[in-house]
Amino acid sequence: MKKSIETIWKEGFLKNDPLVAPKLNNLYSQKSIDIVDKFRRMYKINRVAILAFAFIILPLSFLVKIPYMGIGMFVLFNILAAIAQKFSRSLNKLDKTESSYQYLISFDNWVKEMVSTNTKLSRFLYPYVFITMTGGFWFGSIGGDIPGNTFLNHFIERFPDSYLVLGFPLILLVVAFTIISLLAYFGGQIGNFDLNLVYGRILKKLDEMLADMDELTA
Amino acid sequence: MSSDFYTTFILPYSGIIIKICRAYTNTQEDFEDYYQEVCLHIWRSHASFREQSEWSTWVYRISLNVCLTLLKKKKKHNFVSNSLPEEAIEDSRSFVDESLNQLYQAIRQLSDVDRAVIMLYLEEKSYQEIAEIIGTNPNNIGVRIKRIKERLKKLLDEKVN
Repeated sequence: MKKSIETIWKEGFLKNDPLVAPKLNNLYSQKSIDIVDKFRRMYKINRVAILAFAFIILPLSFLVKIPYMGIGMFVLFNILAAIAQKFSRSLNKLDKTESSYQYLISFDNWVKEMVSTNTKLSRFLYPYVFITMTGGFWFGSIGGDIPGNTFLNHFIERFPDSYLVLGFPLILLVVAFTIISLLAYFGGQIGNFDLNLVYGRILKKLDEMLADMDELTA
Repeated sequence: MSSDFYTTFILPYSGIIIKICRAYTNTQEDFEDYYQEVCLHIWRSHASFREQSEWSTWVYRISLNVCLTLLKKKKKHNFVSNSLPEEAIEDSRSFVDESLNQLYQAIRQLSDVDRAVIMLYLEEKSYQEIAEIIGTNPNNIGVRIKRIKERLKKLLDEKVN
């Protein structure tokens, strides 16, 4: 090597035409498609997982003798998968030929609609899960006995002064009703928290991109 | 990003960005992507510039950080998709000066951090500035540069022979 690397560097750039900067255009075009595609993949995995879980829990619940819980959850997961499928279809309809800004706005609107449905649904979903789980265990079978009856007998033996409504301790009804009410009241927030756990990062990125693009187009 | 911002704060330093982006990419398409990404990062984070260093130093830092991050992502993707490693792909672009082409090719065979160090050295940054930009101890920079230059010399000699 005759020349030092410092000389090659200096002379090399002197001999060349001035360095031409590439034009800046469509800064976000690929990114906007990428973020929606990533979300679409995650949404599909989630949907498949819900369905898989539905078909696992059903036979399993019969095996461990809590079939009501299994049937209840199976129905719930299928409804959730059907709703997700409906949303997935509308997500696939987003027009990729639009400008990246418009494409992201359409996606953002889709996300808002999905979150709003999820919030409304969660107000029923969590109380339903509680009722199904409790009912499932209550009317299940452990060693030939019905766990609900066994528990009730123990409870009445321990607290014989309990006020009964149709043979059922009032205090237990109050506790169950309180839990169901709380789940219905906070269901939306729990649902959104749940959604954030799965999609939080990507949705935050979407917000940042939209804010940037708002500024870029201003 | 307003065209004023681009003309005032980025365009005069585009040479720096171009040189760095070229060292970390093999194709014109990648190069343009990296360049755009660096410009975008400069624009997005210019509010956090505290004037504790020169604007050009800051541009170097952002350019290197963005290139290293993008390269890392690309390597991860290549690993997953089982593609060829970055170094195995021939550079599809060329400068008029053949020695410069060879030097760039040799630089691209260095590790990611060594590439950053030598680029800054060739741009006549002081050891202190290099250490500041890379985030290392200035005492080690001299030794590192000596080692990198020896490696580059060897790679260039191999090319000639």
